[in-house]
Amino acid sequence: MMVSKEAVVSDTGKPAKRPMSPRRKRYLTAIGIAALIGGIMGAWLQIDSPGSSPASLAPLSNSPLTPSFAIGASILWVIGLIISLFIYHRAVDDHEERAYLWAGLAAWYTFVLSAPTWWMLHRAGLAPPADAILLFAGALVVNCIVWLWLKYR
Amino acid sequence: MNNKLKVLRAMRNWSQAELADRLDVSRQAVNAIETGKYDPSLPLAFKLARLFDMPIEEIFDDGFEGGGGE
Repeated sequence: MMVSKEAVVSDTGKPAKRPMSPRRKRYLTAIGIAALIGGIMGAWLQIDSPGSSPASLAPLSNSPLTPSFAIGASILWVIGLIISLFIYHRAVDDHEERAYLWAGLAAWYTFVLSAPTWWMLHRAGLAPPADAILLFAGALVVNCIVWLWLKYR
Repeated sequence: MNNKLKVLRAMRNWSQAELADRLDVSRQAVNAIETGKYDPSLPLAFKLARLFDMPIEEIFDDGFEGGGGE
């Protein structure tokens, strides 16, 4: 029997929770996979880092990594992220896609402005060597800020 | 771009989340369209027009007042 959304009420008389749409399920799956990858990598890195104290955060240090972690994490990062992004791009609506594209562009501009500047300053002996992960982190922060602003403002 | 989405939604007593479900978009997308922060794509505008059974130009107003003649 078909039941319209307006007619769906709970026993208490309050409107029942609407069933999740397939698009939203795909969206939450993609976000869940990405969060899981981040969680696994962070926890694995923390456990696998020899000599790191519980108080120090291994993901923020530049200490050497074990080959087993480096290979495993690289595979997890590339394969997991490709799967997550594939599902994400099939699930997002126009509004979020626009936020995603502008956020990506802002992150790219952050990298384009900062990387060559840092590199030239280093060549002139005015700055330490360019740190790829710091540049990546800076671009990621800009990406997140722009995405959140465009999606939730 | 101005639009009558909020009025049309209120006339049907739908919440933003309900309208979002009917359009298969997020609630944030509906809110952004209603507040004029985001202009929907043409496919989404057509979807809205079909849902409300109205021409697109009756839902959205780009403020253009000029005539179409010579």
